[in-house]
Amino acid sequence: MFEQAISAMASVMVDPYLLGLIFATTVLGVIIGVLPGLGATTGAALLLPFTLTMDPVHAIAVLATIYVSATFAGSITAILINTPGTSAAAATTFDGYPLAQKGEAGRALGIAVISSTVGGIFSVLILCFAAPLLARVAYEFRSPEYFALTVFGLSMLASISAGGAVKNLIGGIFGVWLSTIGAERVTGIERFMFGNYELYEGLHFVPIFIGLFAISELLVQSKTVDKIIKTVSMKAVKLPTKEDYKKIWKTILRSCGIGTFIGVLPAEGATVASMIGYSEARRWSKNKKEFGKGSIEGIAGAEAANNAATGGAMVPTMVLGIPGSGTTAIILVGLMVHGLRPGVYLFTEQVEKVYQIFGSMFVANVMFMLMGLYAAKLFARVSLVPTQILWPIVFALSVIGAYAFQGQLLDVWLALIFGVIGFFARRHGFSVAPIAVGLILGEMVETNLQHSLKMFDGQWWLILTQPLALMFLIFAFLGLCGPVIFSWITKQKD
Amino acid sequence: MKYMKNKIYLIPLILAIFSLSVIAISLQLDTSPEMIVGDSMQARSFPIFLMILKLFLLGILTYQFYKNKPKAVSLEKYHTWGSMLLFLLFYLLTVYTDMFIGIFVVIFLMSILWGEKRLWVAFLTATVTPGLVFLLFDFVLKIRFPRGILMNLYYG
Repeated sequence: MFEQAISAMASVMVDPYLLGLIFATTVLGVIIGVLPGLGATTGAALLLPFTLTMDPVHAIAVLATIYVSATFAGSITAILINTPGTSAAAATTFDGYPLAQKGEAGRALGIAVISSTVGGIFSVLILCFAAPLLARVAYEFRSPEYFALTVFGLSMLASISAGGAVKNLIGGIFGVWLSTIGAERVTGIERFMFGNYELYEGLHFVPIFIGLFAISELLVQSKTVDKIIKTVSMKAVKLPTKEDYKKIWKTILRSCGIGTFIGVLPAEGATVASMIGYSEARRWSKNKKEFGKGSIEGIAGAEAANNAATGGAMVPTMVLGIPGSGTTAIILVGLMVHGLRPGVYLFTEQVEKVYQIFGSMFVANVMFMLMGLYAAKLFARVSLVPTQILWPIVFALSVIGAYAFQGQLLDVWLALIFGVIGFFARRHGFSVAPIAVGLILGEMVETNLQHSLKMFDGQWWLILTQPLALMFLIFAFLGLCGPVIFSWITKQKD
Repeated sequence: MKYMKNKIYLIPLILAIFSLSVIAISLQLDTSPEMIVGDSMQARSFPIFLMILKLFLLGILTYQFYKNKPKAVSLEKYHTWGSMLLFLLFYLLTVYTDMFIGIFVVIFLMSILWGEKRLWVAFLTATVTPGLVFLLFDFVLKIRFPRGILMNLYYG
């Protein structure tokens, strides 16, 4: 198994086509990452239709590369123009931009590049070891455990960064309801189709995701057309000095652990990881006063954590079929479209492909490091592309991407409708990621609940007699009610 | 003033109406014979359960709004409403003429709507983007586009 994994990962290095593809996608991912508003999720949603005709490993490598490189690239604009290219880089602005204003933009970018690379590579290594182990545990799972696990995944939506807990849960439930549209799997009864037989097999994820992430973002960006962007000048990216390394190595390691752990949690992602990575860097720092004024520990803490979350988020996605973030929800769709069924069988029947994907992520981390060090200045200029040119192009890519997936115009209309729904949801403080995660998990919840009920002759409470299922349901309960209970206890103590 | 004060409950109200409508539609769904469903659920049960859960959460959200009044949402600029209208125009042009004519017109108008003053730049973006995308999808990805005025000329 170990030898097979190593040789599969090494095979990436000797496949010129795959290496070329990863290089091209890294360039694209960095461009997507530096363009404010586009980000890894929108980029992956737009790119998914282009991967349809590719070999499964190449397709997932493309999506995973976009994920890691765009997550890193958000830091470039966060440092140079105080606008995070992705939400995961928001914490980088706290210290990155002040340091750049002091005339040390190159140093800030150098620290961001090195921290992101270490975070990314660390999480890929954890992914290589943790995923097969988790897959072995998941081998024991039956319907009650999967049902409880998906309920746990949905409960974690309460703590997604954007929106409030209640709003996120409402979004998640809306997403689960969307998954009930079409013919019911056991009885074949048509639900909410209103005579539209193109919906018989249900709503497909791709047009919905393009709508929720890309089209809704287009409408959000239409509110910012008059925004004037000011850039900080920079000569070249500087690698951290020995003193810098001495100052940040502990922070980087801590953030690697935090980021990977948070990434593994269902429905959490790089944004939460970077915020916690940043606040922990501040908490453990001897120079707390520097934070907010250009602390290199702050940059390292946020950047190592957000890139470490990328590998972590792939663990539940590939092993359990539960996406760890909006982008991994799209990668999960990519896996399913290409016949790579996430779960135990992926790690027993298609080990080689799995490790080739991991290997691609490793290579992508190295490539974005090189690009970050030698071409960050060039990429930063991309962020100055006028919105009135960029977003109409995104519109064209969105509608053609939505159409190309199944070759039906209904998907284009769905993408536009969900774009408008997503926009209004965001306008009122609802995040769209819970809708996407709910849509993916919806079928799993219902199907596994049905199977569990059949297993226990309709006595649903017997699900609680299964130890693992009970554990996940307790976690779900704690995830939902824990903060309320703890704040009540604290109030009583006070 | 009173109207503005109550406006914050509009979103929970709309969502509650939506949930009640889903429950009403679910109750109209066919039921399966006992021998097929067995000890499991009817097709209507799960959506109804979801909507009841959603109504419960909407109750909590309304209470939260009552306790902490949410910030007022600023009205969108004409760019946003105009972009949505362009989506409608895209639908009409795609259905009655051709998808690529729709894309060309929408890109051109959206560029101008969003502030592009140079007509030639808007025209170039509107021409080159669909052109490149068409070449990529048709030649590389082998995807056939829906028939319309232009596609009929191309496919014959």
